[in-house]
Amino acid sequence: MSPAPLTAARVPALAAGATLLGSGGGGEVATGALLLSGELAGAPVPLLPAAALAPDTLVVHAGLVGAPDVLAERLADPDDFADAVRTAAEVVGGSAGAVGVIEIGGLNAVVAAVAAARLGLPLVDGDLMGRAFPRIDQTVAAVAGVDPAPLVLVGPGGNTVVVRQCSRRLAERLLRANVLALGGAAALAVHPLPAARLAAIGVRGSVSACLGLGDRLLTAREAGGTPEGLADALGAELLAAGRVEELAPRQDLTPGWATLTDGRTGAVVRVDLLDEYLAVTVDGVTRAAAPQIIAAVDPSGRRPLRADQLRTGGHLILLRLPSLHAWPAEAEPLVGPTAFGLDLAPSTVPVAGPVTGSPGGRS
Amino acid sequence: MLRLGIDVGGTNTDAVLIDGDRVLGAVKASTTADVTGGIVTALGDLRQATGFDPAAVQAVMIGTTHFINALVEGERLAQTAAIRFGLPATRALPPLVDWPDRLVTAIGGHSHLCHGGHEYDGTPIAAFDEAEFRAVLDRAVAAGATSFALSSVFSPVNAEFETRAAEIIAEQLPGAPVSLSHEIGRMGLLGRENATVVNAALRGLADQVATGLLRTVAEAGINAPVFLSQNDGTLMDVDYARRYPVATFASGPTNSMRGAAFLSRLPSCAVVDIGGTTSDVGILQQGFPREASTDVNVAGVQTNFRMPDVLSIGIGGGSHVLHQASGTAVGPASVGYRLAQEALVFGGTRLTATDVAVAGGRAEVGDASLVAHLDRSVVDAALRFVDDRLAEVVDRMRASAEPVPVVAVGGGSILVPEDLAGASRVVRPDHFAVANAIGAAIAQVGGEVDRVYSVVPQQRDTVLDEARQEAVDRAVAAGARPGSVEIVDIEEVPLAYLPGNATRIRVKAVGELSLGGPRA
Repeated sequence: MSPAPLTAARVPALAAGATLLGSGGGGEVATGALLLSGELAGAPVPLLPAAALAPDTLVVHAGLVGAPDVLAERLADPDDFADAVRTAAEVVGGSAGAVGVIEIGGLNAVVAAVAAARLGLPLVDGDLMGRAFPRIDQTVAAVAGVDPAPLVLVGPGGNTVVVRQCSRRLAERLLRANVLALGGAAALAVHPLPAARLAAIGVRGSVSACLGLGDRLLTAREAGGTPEGLADALGAELLAAGRVEELAPRQDLTPGWATLTDGRTGAVVRVDLLDEYLAVTVDGVTRAAAPQIIAAVDPSGRRPLRADQLRTGGHLILLRLPSLHAWPAEAEPLVGPTAFGLDLAPSTVPVAGPVTGSPGGRS
Repeated sequence: MLRLGIDVGGTNTDAVLIDGDRVLGAVKASTTADVTGGIVTALGDLRQATGFDPAAVQAVMIGTTHFINALVEGERLAQTAAIRFGLPATRALPPLVDWPDRLVTAIGGHSHLCHGGHEYDGTPIAAFDEAEFRAVLDRAVAAGATSFALSSVFSPVNAEFETRAAEIIAEQLPGAPVSLSHEIGRMGLLGRENATVVNAALRGLADQVATGLLRTVAEAGINAPVFLSQNDGTLMDVDYARRYPVATFASGPTNSMRGAAFLSRLPSCAVVDIGGTTSDVGILQQGFPREASTDVNVAGVQTNFRMPDVLSIGIGGGSHVLHQASGTAVGPASVGYRLAQEALVFGGTRLTATDVAVAGGRAEVGDASLVAHLDRSVVDAALRFVDDRLAEVVDRMRASAEPVPVVAVGGGSILVPEDLAGASRVVRPDHFAVANAIGAAIAQVGGEVDRVYSVVPQQRDTVLDEARQEAVDRAVAAGARPGSVEIVDIEEVPLAYLPGNATRIRVKAVGELSLGGPRA
């Protein structure tokens, strides 16, 4: 059975779930949510698993790449996402039959739906990251050995960059250089894949899982209650609840960290962070680490806080959310702590650990 | 220095007279619809109470919720044209896109887009198209717009489009009020633009109120400069307020907290302000309120002002006390301003939080014999409920794991127990009922810069100096004495997910009020 189509009424849940799945990163969803509400006022977007599409349907993945501050100022145009998807399909000699989500964590969960709505295409209920990651090569597609090209970037006024071919490693550098030239943010289309291939390698059920998580957060926000209650409501594991005592901001590519004392247990808690939360260590034991999904929720407003929103003295509920995807052990150098320059103590739990209570299935 | 502080709230107008750090007198009067009537009464009462010589007053500071109330009510707003420079970008989300329909209608719904704006590094998105802008302006005027809000993409980096358009309006429509987004909000187009449109819609009202305030003060025989309180606890002179009424929006809670700190002589503390219906808890750090980290929604409009971080719960002096089998609860329903008629201690029939505070021996208000019959276990359970909720809010708000001093102000502060969990002590200053007016009276003058700079490593110091100087200049322009201005806060944040040297720099400067200067 396919999930219900995405309607304007579902935008708050999608945005709330995407913020949680951002693992502390993935950018501000508000501008994207405003765009999506406008798009969906016309017609809902069908939401389909890749396996439900005809096997040769061309799925093009869409998102926004660049600085959240630029998006907040220059906004974004749904036509640019539609143009990017069309152009990527043309490069591979086809036409897009569905739009895929690159990254279910943060703004890009919402932006892919904007592209689908503008093109009048279905959105695939899945994604390529299972959370938010900073680099375009940190995907299940990369793990499966699939190159991202063609890459298409569209900036304001229709300025377009097409990269027909590139190695996985160079993709990120090409994106950054061209995004800068386009003013610091641009619409991106990447990874055009036949539906059958995507069904085999993609993270499944991500959009449904995101909506479900968002619904549960919005309900919990109204209900109030304890940190334990919030963790239960989200199907998450409660890692710690306490006040940020010390905060060392990131320095360029070197991770920063925050320390807390758990108000309930007295445990000493450390959160490593870069663009996202990377790891949570409680009394010297690593309780969660990338690619697992870590969320910090403000206990008074029940709002997920991004890594750049942490402040000394702020209260946090730290949660490990159920993973949407089980990364194989060999993906550790790509998406594990070492990918972010983080050297965790050897006595820690395996990071590519089992999926717990996944609401979205596994691939 | 003799200062007069006036707080014009929705219900009461309070006035205080302060000499240095001594409160010489404090009075309360009823607020009138024209703002000035309540002030006239309050000043008369204050003069009767203290016998002060109007000619000796050196400054008048006024805090008011009048402008935010006008927005909330959607009344007395000007027909406003919102004109944005951003095309070909930003088309999908035009000005007023996220406003409630009611307010769009109230300001006439004039939303326009023109080519232009800048990229983050200051290069233009498109050239200024003068013919296009003049055509938009003609359409807006023909449709009835009388006030103009101009915004431009990345105008905190380069304000050229806004200033150029303002010059054209000045030439076409001399004297028409123009509000420029780079002078009002910070980074984030929609929030900044919204604040600018709100400001533009309030310009006519601001002009009337400012004129009325100056006249009222002069008629009271006071020959001193008049200032208004801003959101961050600093002052602006009255002519600045004519142009930036939106800057008064959060002055109420800010003045209350700063007044509480002044009265208790505690620059760092938690302030619990309990009124008839709610308790507001905020944190003061070095005399200024801690700011909220998220954007603030005002009357349904998302803005990006910095507002004090205040957490409110539905417990006040007039809160209903409900005793049921499932337990005892206080609030959120309240008798509100009818406390003096409806509470038991005043001969009414409704059991309120004030009644249990009196029965529990926390306060002497009204007639205690009227609550002597109350079941002791109900009284204790209700007070425990209040204590637990207040302690929980203070705990959520305080910045460190250490207990903090708690300053209790407001008419309902009799509810606060001597021993509050998480509080190192509870302080109840004198004159707590007029903390807002005192907060207004003690305010300093500030200036702020918040924009993106391209910071080449060797030139970092030069760029920071430039930003500091601009913040200082803005403080002086707002009425600070040039020699006294100090930088109180510097923030330097590289833009996320963006290589290169784009850095967002925010500098805040604060100085002593200039008296007898060129603008006074």
